[in-house]
Amino acid sequence: MPIYRQIIDQIRYQVVTGRLKEGDKVPSVRELASRLAVNQNTILKVYNELCRQNVLKVERGDGTYVSSSKQSISVAERKKAVASVLREAATLAVQLELPVEQAGELLRKEYQNIVSQKAGRGKK
Amino acid sequence: MTEPAIKIEGLHFSYGKKHVLKGVDLEVPKGSIFGFLGRNGAGKTTMIKTLLGLQKPQAGRCLVGGLDSVTDTLEVRRRIGFMAEDQQMYGWMTVSRIIKWVAGFYPNWDDKFVDELAEVLSLPKDAKVKALSKGQNSSLALLLALGHRPDIVILDDPTLGLDPIARKDFLRHVIDLLQSNGVTVFFSSHLLYEIEPVADHIAILNDGVIIKACKTEQLRESVRKFALTPAPGADFSQVPGILDALKVGESVSIAIDGCDPAKKARLKEMSANGMTETALNLDEIFEAYVIGNRGRELTAH
Repeated sequence: MPIYRQIIDQIRYQVVTGRLKEGDKVPSVRELASRLAVNQNTILKVYNELCRQNVLKVERGDGTYVSSSKQSISVAERKKAVASVLREAATLAVQLELPVEQAGELLRKEYQNIVSQKAGRGKK
Repeated sequence: MTEPAIKIEGLHFSYGKKHVLKGVDLEVPKGSIFGFLGRNGAGKTTMIKTLLGLQKPQAGRCLVGGLDSVTDTLEVRRRIGFMAEDQQMYGWMTVSRIIKWVAGFYPNWDDKFVDELAEVLSLPKDAKVKALSKGQNSSLALLLALGHRPDIVILDDPTLGLDPIARKDFLRHVIDLLQSNGVTVFFSSHLLYEIEPVADHIAILNDGVIIKACKTEQLRESVRKFALTPAPGADFSQVPGILDALKVGESVSIAIDGCDPAKKARLKEMSANGMTETALNLDEIFEAYVIGNRGRELTAH
C-alpha cells in the first residue's frame, strides 16, 4: 500500500476510535512530515484527501482540525466504500478456505472492538 | 512549466572500453526530492560525477539550472551542494576547523546558517573528525554540502552504512532543512524502501539507461502481478509492459508495468480460466524492473 494510504488509514482509525476527537488540532504538514520522516507533499495529499472525505477541515490561516460535520455522504456511497475494502478480506478468506460465517464473525468483532474503544474514551 | 532543476540529455560515458552510461535522459523538477535508484555498479556515481562536471561525457549534456555542467562548471558547482558516497574527510581536523577550511572555497559561505545547522545536527564542534560516529560523519558531510546555501543538493548514497534510526534521522534532516526551504534534492540509493517515504519522484537506472521514471506513488500502483493458465495460442508479446514472466508448471506469473484495464482485459483473454491479481512489495517491484526477463521466457517458443 502506498505510504499516503497507510497514513490516511491510521488517522481515520484514530478518529473512529476517538483517539482524535472532533475539534482536535492535527499537526501541521511540516511537523507531521518531519515526525514521520515523510515527504511534505505526501502529508499534504493525505490532508487533502481527508478533507475531501470530511474527516478533517482546514481553518484558513489557523490549522487543520478534526471535522465536526456528521456524515454527509449517502448510504449507497458508504456501502460502496466499505465493499471495496472488504473485497480484499473476502478474497483472502476464500483463498484460505475460511467459512463465510467465521469471516463475518471476525468483521463483527472488529467493528464492536472499535465502537467499544470509542465508548470507553467517551466516558473518561 | 518552469525549467527543471536538472536536465540530462542523451548522456554517454565510458571508462576506456567500458561503456557505463548508454544514453541517459532525465529531468528533475525544481523543488522536488528525487530518488535515484540502481543496483551497485549500475552507473549512479558515474552519472553524478558527470552531472557535477568532474568528468566530461563522450556524448550528451547535463544542464543544471539551465547551465551546462561542462562549459559552466564553476557556476554549476556554486549552485550545487554535493555529498559524496562514503565521504572521507581529514581525520585530524576538528569539526570547526574543517568547516572553516571548506568555507574558504566558497565566497558565499553562510556562517550563521552553518552555526544553526551544527546545532540542529548536534555536531560536537571541538571533536576531531576521526572521533565522530558514522552518523555524525554523514551529518558533517551534509553540513559541508549546505554551507553555501545551494539551490540543488546532490547526495550520493548518503545513508550508506547508517543504522536504521540514524537513517531515519538523516532523512528527517533532509525534509526539515531542505524540502522546507524549497531546495531541490537529488539522492541516490540502492534501497527502494528507503527512498519511497521521502521522494516525490523516482528514477531507476539499470545497465546505463533509465528504465523507469515516475512519481513515487505511481510506482506501486502501476506494477501488478497476475497468475494465470495460458489459453491455447496465447501470445503475450501482444501485451506491452511485461516486466517479468515466470512459468510455474502449467501456469505463468506475469509482472506488468503501467497496468490499466485495457492490459488487464488483454491478459484475461489469453487466460484459460480466470486469473488472480496481486500487488508487489517494493523489493519485488525493483527486482521486476531490474532483473525482469521482459517476457522472453514466454516468447521463446
